[in-house]
Amino acid sequence: MSDALSLVLLALLVVTALAATFSRDLLAAVIVFSGYSLVMALLWQRLQAPDLALTEAAVGAGVTTVLFVTAIFKTQRMEEEGGDRHRRGGANEKESVEK
Amino acid sequence: MKKVVSLCFIGALGVLLLMLVSSMPRMGDPGSPTNRRVVDRYLEKAEEETGTENVITGVILNYRGYDTMGEVTVIFTGLAAVLAVLGREKRGRVYAYPDRSPVRSSIIVRSAAGFLLPFIALFSLYTVLHGEISPGGGFQGGAVMAAGMFLFAAAFGLWKAGRTVPPRLRFAVEGAAPITFFLVGVAGLLGGGEFLAYMLPRVSAGLQPALRTWLTLLVEGGIGAGGAMIFISVLMALAREEVGGGQAA
Repeated sequence: MSDALSLVLLALLVVTALAATFSRDLLAAVIVFSGYSLVMALLWQRLQAPDLALTEAAVGAGVTTVLFVTAIFKTQRMEEEGGDRHRRGGANEKESVEK
Repeated sequence: MKKVVSLCFIGALGVLLLMLVSSMPRMGDPGSPTNRRVVDRYLEKAEEETGTENVITGVILNYRGYDTMGEVTVIFTGLAAVLAVLGREKRGRVYAYPDRSPVRSSIIVRSAAGFLLPFIALFSLYTVLHGEISPGGGFQGGAVMAAGMFLFAAAFGLWKAGRTVPPRLRFAVEGAAPITFFLVGVAGLLGGGEFLAYMLPRVSAGLQPALRTWLTLLVEGGIGAGGAMIFISVLMALAREEVGGGQAA
């Protein structure tokens, strides 16, 4: 029973990690990453580490999420095609030469 | 070609890491190195020796206080570096925040935040002050407080949050964590004691246990207050934009 719950949580962890990595919408990625932290906090609790669970929930799901959202607010929300994430720098010359 | 090489490298690294995982001791294994040596001592003597009921707090702040002080210093130096890069508010300049639009957040958001905030603040204080008995402590409580202030900023606007926690207060309290830790450590040296012994000179033996608890609490409080303030400072520094006043930098 408890193993089943752990397995579900671990599966969720992998799914949220992959979703956050592959999402082109950075805002969505940040929110999913916040979910990742929440699942991680539950897992810490299941590993009998309540101190770590508290830290993960407050810092991972709370503080860093807001900081990331603020950073996105000041840059741009969508990741561009071709993996170039810089708005102001424009296309990276080195990369465009290689293509 | 580049992609294939990267994939191979990452795959090899993953296999290597998984192999290492399989050689780790099982959780709770009585024969594992961590469980063989110091655990018994911690579990039996921590309350008496460190003055904290929560063994984790006793280990982090007392038995391994030296390491924790180093960690706290590293974390706060890192955050101070972030603040140095992002820049400080300067007198006589005008700042704007990206959310300063005429449209306020919806009444649902504002009511829910207003309802939750007192509880978050109370829970944060509880986590800091009760950290020596139950799970939690200064850093956790400080992070909860910072998250609460972030919620306030999200619901009522960064500008208002910046006025509720004015820069003067933040600048004064930000460094509290390493400073209180260091001062309590040095206090142990007074009268020929040890660094970070959580003791003061000329205190009778009967009062020592209570004093240890209070000094631990002081360190927790310093970490909590400093942590909360420096997180809020990072948010404000990240969000604000200079719009005028003063001379060009």
